[in-house]
Amino acid sequence: MKASRVRAVACKEWREILRDRLFFTMAFGVPLLIMLVLGYGLSLDVKNIPFAVVDHDRSASSREYVHRFSESRYFDLVGYVAREKDLDPLLADSRIRLGLVIPDRFGERLQGDRPARVQALIDGMFPFRAQTTKGYLEAINAEANRELLVDWLARSRGMTRERAVQQVTPVRLQQRYLYNQAIESDWSMASGLMMLVLMVSPPFLTALGVVREKESGSIYNIYASTVSRGEFILGKLIPYVGVSCFNILVLWLVATQLFGAPFKGDPLFFFIASVVYVICTAGIGLLVSILVSTQVAAVLLTMVITFIPAMLYSGLLVPVESMSPDARLQAWLFPPRYYLEITWGSFLKGLGWSDLWLPVVVLAGYAAVLWSVGFLAFHKRPRR
Amino acid sequence: MPLLQITGFHKRYRRQVAVERVDLSVGRGEIFGLIGPDGAGKSSLMKAAAGVLSYEGGLIEAFGVPLDSETNAERVKDRIGFMPQGLGLNLYPDLSVEENIDFLARLREVAPADLARRKRRLLAMTRLERFRGRAMKHLSGGMKQKLGLVCTLIHQPELVILDEPTTGVDPLSRRDFWAILTDLLRDRGITALVSTAYLDEASRFHRLALLHQGQVLDQGTPEEIVSRVPGRLLSFRTSQPGEALRRLQGRYRQLDYDGHRIRVFVTATGEAAALDELRRHLGDLPVRQLEAGEPGLEDVFVALLRGRGDADREGVPRLPVNGRSHRGGEDEVLIEASGLCRDFGDFRAVDRVGFRVRRGEIFGLLGANGAGKTTVIKMLTGILRPTAGSGRVAGADMRRAAGAIRQRIGYMSQSFSLYRDLTALENIRLYGGIYGLGPGLLQERIDWVLEMAGIRGHESDRTAALPMGLRQRLALGCALVHRPQVLFLDEPTSGVDPLGRRRFWSILTHLAREQGVAILITTHYMSEAEHCDHLALMHAGRLVADKTPDALRRELQQEVGELLELQLDHPLEALERLEGQFKGVTLHGNRIHLFAPSLSAAEPVIRRLLADTGVELRSLRTRVPGMEDVFVYRMGLLEREAA
Repeated sequence: MKASRVRAVACKEWREILRDRLFFTMAFGVPLLIMLVLGYGLSLDVKNIPFAVVDHDRSASSREYVHRFSESRYFDLVGYVAREKDLDPLLADSRIRLGLVIPDRFGERLQGDRPARVQALIDGMFPFRAQTTKGYLEAINAEANRELLVDWLARSRGMTRERAVQQVTPVRLQQRYLYNQAIESDWSMASGLMMLVLMVSPPFLTALGVVREKESGSIYNIYASTVSRGEFILGKLIPYVGVSCFNILVLWLVATQLFGAPFKGDPLFFFIASVVYVICTAGIGLLVSILVSTQVAAVLLTMVITFIPAMLYSGLLVPVESMSPDARLQAWLFPPRYYLEITWGSFLKGLGWSDLWLPVVVLAGYAAVLWSVGFLAFHKRPRR
Repeated sequence: MPLLQITGFHKRYRRQVAVERVDLSVGRGEIFGLIGPDGAGKSSLMKAAAGVLSYEGGLIEAFGVPLDSETNAERVKDRIGFMPQGLGLNLYPDLSVEENIDFLARLREVAPADLARRKRRLLAMTRLERFRGRAMKHLSGGMKQKLGLVCTLIHQPELVILDEPTTGVDPLSRRDFWAILTDLLRDRGITALVSTAYLDEASRFHRLALLHQGQVLDQGTPEEIVSRVPGRLLSFRTSQPGEALRRLQGRYRQLDYDGHRIRVFVTATGEAAALDELRRHLGDLPVRQLEAGEPGLEDVFVALLRGRGDADREGVPRLPVNGRSHRGGEDEVLIEASGLCRDFGDFRAVDRVGFRVRRGEIFGLLGANGAGKTTVIKMLTGILRPTAGSGRVAGADMRRAAGAIRQRIGYMSQSFSLYRDLTALENIRLYGGIYGLGPGLLQERIDWVLEMAGIRGHESDRTAALPMGLRQRLALGCALVHRPQVLFLDEPTSGVDPLGRRRFWSILTHLAREQGVAILITTHYMSEAEHCDHLALMHAGRLVADKTPDALRRELQQEVGELLELQLDHPLEALERLEGQFKGVTLHGNRIHLFAPSLSAAEPVIRRLLADTGVELRSLRTRVPGMEDVFVYRMGLLEREAA
């Protein structure tokens, strides 16, 4: 292993990254773009659910009931319609996600202390959103019931309202959210997206960097020269890992400054762990570049083996614990879930070396395996 | 002990055999040529010899080291320089000329002082000195190729392996390339293994091997190979070409007629015997300008292929029976360009180009990659709008009636534009449908195409499985399915073997002479240029010459004299002396070519120059200059003007 030859390869590669406009964009623009697009687009918070009402009663009670929904931050009243039938086109067009039908004599029944029925039509197309909607709906409805009960107690037993409230809710739940106090999914998402971007971008750069030389034929300069495969691989990967380390800082700034995610952990630990992760994912790119010989194939293969696991099996959208056994196996197989543990640990929980050393070791192990396989599978005298 | 020894070499890709049972040896200080069409197996052989491709059978030894494993191959790589196929493809487009060289030098650990010295020398030799700082992607094709050569030579390898270094390069750059190789041979005793698809470069080699479909057809010195197929190439004019062809057709298999001259290869020993034999067969027919020449390597290649029975598989070509037709409208201009310009940003790709092509005429547009040939064709066919200038094709204005033009022309591109997964017949049908032929007419045209292109028997073969030559003729047939009066052919013969190329050209002459089709063709093959009625050379977007091949040749002879060929026992030692005295001195294997006012005047001068060198002049004779000589001379003049 000669440092001079590694340096020659690395310098050449670095110049190409800076001068090739497409490659430059790939290296510095695309990671930022993914972060911004997904950061703004992929919010898991369900807020402002649009809904419409059919009010057959048109009484003060029915208006008050509807008002409970329209003034909450979770629902957005689109308007009233005359008949149930009129809800169908609105739901079909996704202009509303929820339809409330309040029957005739709703207020009258409540005044007479008789139960009334309200029908809720929920758009169940996207189960996650429907579940959340149902939760909000039930909570608001329960609140309405509770107040009716309080009113009734106050009226019939002559209690004060405070006393009545205590009677109605004997057990009081005190909730506090830890780590992400405001349960802003943007916080978790922004830091989680660092995992995604750093899973996708380094292998793309590495795979394309090697494969484009294969495709053009300049790889023969390497094959035909006295550069050893180790020197070539190292020289080739140093610039890409370097670029990705720079991107770690940029993405970290975006997550904390633009998306307002808090960073509570040890910055040095997080940076070192991130570098290990980047080395590991660049190794995936190296493997891809050995398997394929055209840039198109490299893009497709890299996309499939990086984006999908990072998106679906990392725990970003669905916690690993609540996945099906098959999905959980996949989660254990791919590196992103370990880095996500590190990211959320560092950003939200303020953890450091003592708690997160294991995932770092696992990632380092991955990197070692990927690079060794890449090194052994790279030949200067291939079959074709 | 030869420097490179190849025995029983065998290479396959999955189940497809690329090269089988090849034996070669390259001695120290030799320039060895591998000649063959695309797919002959040249690249596989060269890559294996450079130690960058593993192989299945046989053994390659370089410098006495068997290249049978990656470890062994590494042992000789510091002594080998390898330039893969493709113009500048092994270079880095975004790096400058100097950075490209520096990178390759650092890979090879050339000491800084050596690097500076060699860089200076090689850049001067290749005239790239001025372009040190220019990014490689902004170089012309010829310059890229020279830079590739510099990068391959920067570590001073003892053996250079160059895969098609001259493909797609203009004739002048090709000449430069050979001059550099000659210098290296003289100064360093370098050994070179060079492949080429151009048979007319064969004379440059000391020894060569003809490769076809993965096998060596023949190998030896150019003289040896030519002498193995004894015979003479005779050509003549006659007023009754149809009758002459009828009388010769059964007897000679290598028979050509381009509308002017009939060429026939007569396998008789000695010129007199050959001429006698031909006269006997022609009988009482009037014959003019009967000339006898030595067969070129291409004729030999074709003869060797015919010997293997390949020719029969390709079918017997139909020759035109009339000379240039004298029907009405003979002088009708079918393609006319005047003052055509096209800019791409700041770059002027085509600069004031103007020419005319008449009915029944074959017009050849020659030039290197990037000279602007394809851009001219695209403008004339209405695909690309010109920045300035005008053109008419088959009576329609190219600016206004692009749609009408496309109905009246046939166009065939380098890539053959066929659907590889369709059968031959389906492809013809498809093109018939595109041009809107009715069912009755379509059947008639299909029959005509099958006949004309000699595809009968292959109608239901998948296009991808057809041999290159057949595929090329099928593409031609598809371009002609709607009976256009104008035909544009953009490098239609790239990568096709000589037999296929000949067959193709016989169809073209037939179309022009019999059917009055005006043909515009671009090609890299200078030997094909001879078949054209009219030639134009493009260089850096401009038209440099526009005349008949004979007129161009005569002009050259008037301006610089006769082309002489000297055969010498030690040509390298004579080279420098001759360069001082004559123009256009070039080394061709064991021979030297030069220009002199006349043979009789030059002979005493040459003998005097060589007298005290001990070099023996074995023979001296005049040669008919080829189109390549013409264009190298013309472009040389232009470059000097520019400088």
